[in-house]
Amino acid sequence: MSQAAPSSSPQPDDRRDLEHGEHDEVERGFVGQDRVPRRLTWRKLLTIPAFVVVAVGVTLLWLSSQTLDSIARNSLSGVIVREALWQQIKLVAISTFFVLIIAIPLGIALTRSGLRRASPFFMALANIGQATPALGLLALLVIWLGIGVRAPLIGIIIYAVLPVLSNTIAGLRAIDPTLVDAARGIGMSHHGVLTRVELPLAVPLILAGVRTALVLNVGTATLATFGGGGGLGDLIASGITNQRMPVLVLGSVLTVALALIVDWLAMLAEVVLRPRGLEV
Amino acid sequence: MNFWEYLGNRHQQLLADAYQHASAVFQCMVVATLLGVLIGVLTYRTEWAGNLAITSTATILTIPSLALIGLLVPVVGLGVAPTVIALTLYGLLPVVRNAVVGLRGVDPSLVEAARGIGMSRIKRLFRVELPLAWPPILTGIRVSTQMLMGIAAIAAFASGPGLGNQIFRGISSLGSKNALNEVVSGTLGIVILALLFDAAYVLIGRLTIPRGIRA
Repeated sequence: MSQAAPSSSPQPDDRRDLEHGEHDEVERGFVGQDRVPRRLTWRKLLTIPAFVVVAVGVTLLWLSSQTLDSIARNSLSGVIVREALWQQIKLVAISTFFVLIIAIPLGIALTRSGLRRASPFFMALANIGQATPALGLLALLVIWLGIGVRAPLIGIIIYAVLPVLSNTIAGLRAIDPTLVDAARGIGMSHHGVLTRVELPLAVPLILAGVRTALVLNVGTATLATFGGGGGLGDLIASGITNQRMPVLVLGSVLTVALALIVDWLAMLAEVVLRPRGLEV
Repeated sequence: MNFWEYLGNRHQQLLADAYQHASAVFQCMVVATLLGVLIGVLTYRTEWAGNLAITSTATILTIPSLALIGLLVPVVGLGVAPTVIALTLYGLLPVVRNAVVGLRGVDPSLVEAARGIGMSRIKRLFRVELPLAWPPILTGIRVSTQMLMGIAAIAAFASGPGLGNQIFRGISSLGSKNALNEVVSGTLGIVILALLFDAAYVLIGRLTIPRGIRA
């Protein structure tokens, strides 16, 4: 299989805009490198969870000191808050699942020799897609598909497919071609090269894409409220429209806490799942 | 009313919204660039400070924009203030990160040579290091701007300015005839603005990246 030299391919420049600030690492072939500690120390491991616990604790204390009127009390009843949190987690989990089963196989397919020529087209599409505001995409889907969970869910998925796709493609492209040639040379099949050489080497980049997708999804899922999809955005939106600061603050703090915890879990996954042979 | 009639009827409102959107993003981006490069310059030489700048900005980047705006509203109220603060803060992140990485990536022998010909610390920074680190910083600015375009739309929910109002108008009048027109015009307007800004950055890159390091 012919491997284009990285300098002759037009890709690096197109790819650049896709990752949120990860482009320079793509060029070095290590996405998320400086966000993934080489060795986990207790301090690195515990900072984020400790911060989250303190932030949520302080917020709850502050809430208990506030006198709430009936509107705020209704929005803050335990059942409603738990339901919103649970909806948010469900939105993130389901959307991330679909993002992975769409983007990773598509990324693999677009780096195979047969489809490789189609990948600039997908990259251009992804670039334009990235310029589309998440809110606008969501609103269009809601008008098209009606209010409910379906439209926001599809919007979240579309929005996160792009970074995972581009990371998968970048990860597979960044593999040293001599390794692939060597694997072919010792008689491995195309399938064997893919599953035993290319994919394991691309794991760090794919995982970084997954992490980006998870974080994006927590964010986009807060917008689901504007399409009737529920989630923590409900608390934030009703806090702003009804001018009830306790509702707004609790909704925002829980959203931030969820985003930080999800990112932290993804970071752990990156450390644990990274192939041992790639460690520096 | 079809889309073209709608555009014809509302073009004044749309242009005003588009102008406010672009100007909010542009002004916040200017502040974010200055602050971001300053933070980068102050921290890149120290291992821990630079890493702290990158990790903390990356952590803030994980915070959903609606939640950050939600935390700002109780403090600064609705309207322009939370929009500007949120936009500047998010715009800062890719710039800081790319400034630190870019400045650290400058070949030390070049800085050494500049020192050898008698350049002062300030001169080395402005004549050698920053010009060499400019391409990654400019990329950071591009990434930031594109992100801010979308975040500015969300900020309209907290009574911020811009085309997001158009989208929210559509959302709140779902089922009415104009809902689709409003959402499409707002969304399309933002896409067009994002592409125009991107084209401007390509041009700025052509004009400002030193000839010696152009790809």
